[in-house]
Amino acid sequence: MTKNEFMLQLKNELKKNNITDLDDILSEYEQHFAFKLADGFSEEEIAAKLGDPAELASQFIPNVQEKKFGGKKVVTVIGMIFADIFVGAFFLMLFIFSVVLGIVTVAAAVIGLCLLVGFNFNNLIPGMPYLCAFIFAVSFFAFAMLSIAACLYFVVFTRQLIRSYKRFHTNVIAGSSGKATLPSLPAYPQLSHKFKRRLRILALSSLTLLAVSLVSGYIISAILAGNLEFWHVWRWFDK
Amino acid sequence: MNTQYKKGVLELCVMSILKRRDCYGYEISEYLSKYIDIADGTVYPILRKLKSDGLVTTYLSEDSGGPPRKYYSLTALGLKTYEADKKEYLSFAKTVETLLEDEDHDEK
Repeated sequence: MTKNEFMLQLKNELKKNNITDLDDILSEYEQHFAFKLADGFSEEEIAAKLGDPAELASQFIPNVQEKKFGGKKVVTVIGMIFADIFVGAFFLMLFIFSVVLGIVTVAAAVIGLCLLVGFNFNNLIPGMPYLCAFIFAVSFFAFAMLSIAACLYFVVFTRQLIRSYKRFHTNVIAGSSGKATLPSLPAYPQLSHKFKRRLRILALSSLTLLAVSLVSGYIISAILAGNLEFWHVWRWFDK
Repeated sequence: MNTQYKKGVLELCVMSILKRRDCYGYEISEYLSKYIDIADGTVYPILRKLKSDGLVTTYLSEDSGGPPRKYYSLTALGLKTYEADKKEYLSFAKTVETLLEDEDHDEK
């Protein structure tokens, strides 16, 4: 067996056994070859003296049957159960918040629509000229858009946080019983640039529209009513 | 010889080498294969296990002028474990020796 054949076989066998830190292990054997070659041995001789790659790879498997894991695992599992209760409550809160955001979005859109078509259920919307109602409808739509952007990001954020925690959870349990762990997941959502850009555009444009329509709505209402406090003129708060 | 059994004893041998001075992997492999008949490659899994158990640490050193070498060094925990295991092993080996010799006497 040549050096390359030996290294390749060893690498494949290590991978098969789910051993981590491949490079670290392989570099030791690379160095062994380098030293031996410098001493004048042939690659075949060195590989033969090193031993069977499959046998060597199996010796890198951590010994899981060792007793010390027994007690540790129980403590870890109990600890994780408590952690799950608190973290679960936190996630429930995050979930409820995204539901609330969703409801706010729908409500703002409905009010905007009512203003636009002049539908006034049970006289809930105070009276005003249609021009003002139109501008305020635009404000409500802009607010709904802004709230959609927030809701969307919040849902993605919560989902990633939950996935990240789940991975952490399995890794802790696996680690305590000496099993191989998976790489941890980032806590922040890994969004594509396209999605991020669109979300940013949606948020910024709806925020601008909201600000502009609110200010212009106030100015136009004040002009039409002939009073800075136009709500008194239109008797919004009178019983 | 039973590999699992051998592995435990070899761990002890590796620690005894490292107690004297810090070594790189190849040095330990060469030293051991001078005395014990093992495949050269077996030392590296042992070093790795000792490291993951916290009995040895590693550091890189470039003192030889060549590429940096990874040196292994016994930790305080490693030294403590070594002394305890050594005592245990020697007394065990002594008992086994006495036992086996007694059997020889009985046969005669």
